[in-house]
Amino acid sequence: MNLGKLVWRNLLRRRGRFVFTLAGVSVGMAAFVALMTIGQGLTGEIRKQAQGLGANLVVTPKGWCAYEQISVLTGEQLPEAIPLAELEKIRAVPGVRSALPYLNEKTAFRNQPVPVIGIWPDEMRSLQKWSVATGRYFTAADERAVVIGAAIAQQFQLQPGDEFTVRGKRLPVIGVLREAGTKDDIATFVPLSLAQEIYEVKGMVSFIAVQVIDLEQMEAVSLGIQEAANVAVVSDKQLLASVLAIVGTVGAAMQAVAAVGVLAAAFGIVNTLLTAVYERRREIGILQAVGGTRRTLFLAFMLESGLYGLLGGLLGTALGLLGAYVFGPVLGDNAFTASLRQSPAPAFDEVTLIITLAFSVGLALLAGLYPAYRATRLSPVEAMRHV
Amino acid sequence: MSDSVITLECVSKTYGRGAAATQAVADVSMRVARGSWTAIMGPSGHGKSTLLQLIGGLDRPSAGRVMLDGSEIGSLDATKLAAVRGRKIGFVFQFFNLMPHLTAQENVEVALWLGGKGQGKARALDLLGRFGLRDKARHQPGMLSGGQQQRVAIARALANDPDILLMDEPTGNLDSAAEAELLDLLDELHAAGKTLLMVTHNPAVAARAERVVQVKDGRIVADTRHENG
Repeated sequence: MNLGKLVWRNLLRRRGRFVFTLAGVSVGMAAFVALMTIGQGLTGEIRKQAQGLGANLVVTPKGWCAYEQISVLTGEQLPEAIPLAELEKIRAVPGVRSALPYLNEKTAFRNQPVPVIGIWPDEMRSLQKWSVATGRYFTAADERAVVIGAAIAQQFQLQPGDEFTVRGKRLPVIGVLREAGTKDDIATFVPLSLAQEIYEVKGMVSFIAVQVIDLEQMEAVSLGIQEAANVAVVSDKQLLASVLAIVGTVGAAMQAVAAVGVLAAAFGIVNTLLTAVYERRREIGILQAVGGTRRTLFLAFMLESGLYGLLGGLLGTALGLLGAYVFGPVLGDNAFTASLRQSPAPAFDEVTLIITLAFSVGLALLAGLYPAYRATRLSPVEAMRHV
Repeated sequence: MSDSVITLECVSKTYGRGAAATQAVADVSMRVARGSWTAIMGPSGHGKSTLLQLIGGLDRPSAGRVMLDGSEIGSLDATKLAAVRGRKIGFVFQFFNLMPHLTAQENVEVALWLGGKGQGKARALDLLGRFGLRDKARHQPGMLSGGQQQRVAIARALANDPDILLMDEPTGNLDSAAEAELLDLLDELHAAGKTLLMVTHNPAVAARAERVVQVKDGRIVADTRHENG
């Protein structure tokens, strides 16, 4: 006999109560783990999208809100607010390697919203290192054509030679881009001039992506652009930080809700163990009579509590990961994630597992403190009086 | 009496305070010789069990001194008192007080573990074997008769080879056959040199002891020594 064996036998005595208490901890932890992994997956996807932008600085109209900044990363529709004439001023700023205009619009195709992005085809291809899976890329003769992302081709069963309509204008699909794993997969691309014509925003673009020659000089280039043109400039890192801040706030709020669930489960442990102390009073007295110290009793209840935390944490993690993979795509299906190439895959690693288990066990041990203390306060005579 | 293993000096125990105070044991002094068999008798509610609990360190006296082997136990802290209970004293109760979810063997092993003798499977089986319960080692108390349960309780009480065996109505819940078996067993333990101190209502059981102490209203009112002991 040893402490572990005695505790394990005690734990399994009331199987129903054991199962329901464990279920409480597991469900709470599962919700916590699921939301955490979905949140981490989303963060990872956003970072990937930011890298896919291929720019160091993003030139936007002054006074853009955070949602519009996020839309730069996600490819959502944006107001056409920068005159193309500003582009030349920006290109002339010392330290600017390239400056490419984007016109982010949206069209309905077969009753589904599809991003339409007006670009400079040649410059864009060299910046993004796009390659074509089927068909061909724009040539000088293809002023009225469309190149589509891989996911769009798959979603609408389109291939080169098919027709795509942008705001009622019929355009031939000339090529399908190779899958890149970024927002480009769920977008369609047309030459900037054509997009401006169709959307009747002649001479205007949504934003301008800038590459600098020397990253050390980014701050100076940013100031130079703002002096040269009537625009705002945000670095890709700032853009990413602001998006992550928003996503992080939402994620933290969701995790806080899940943590309340875990806290409720911890109260379940307190309740279960207090009931156990009450039910086992006589046995606590017997243990004391045969030489059990207060320390032994305290450790026995703390170990029992810790086991609820450990088992609940492990089970909850497994359930949470399962939930994240099964329900994550549904839960993550919102206006923001819809603009990503696909619902972000949940992200979970060893560090997160350790943190999760430490949280679960730590909270369970806290929950066990009071019942364990109560057990040690019982006098053997009083305890054995209960039959 | 130089070979006293238990000494009580003016021991009193009062429960409650003020008008609600109840004196369970009142100014009791006595010595118990090593290797003796003493029975404590008296009406219900007159302090017999309380006296046994004070001697066994399960409770502390309100006044006076309780000494085991010349050392006062009333002033020991909870941990040291638990160690004394685990090593020097074995308890046997009327309702056996076995852990219902553990097997007979595990009930004995718990005492071995708490007494610092490790897991002691072999010793637990050996003890159960001594009391004819080897084949019941894996049975839980609910699957054993009253007599068998009491023998398991005695095996547990003897797990750490204590000098003193304190028994509170050990035959109170047994039929006559099981009672006779238990008394024979106690005879053996007495012959082996154990100090037995037993609370009982039953004069026939008390008659097996060398000495009978009568308690009334928390005081010793008679102290008789038998020749048969």
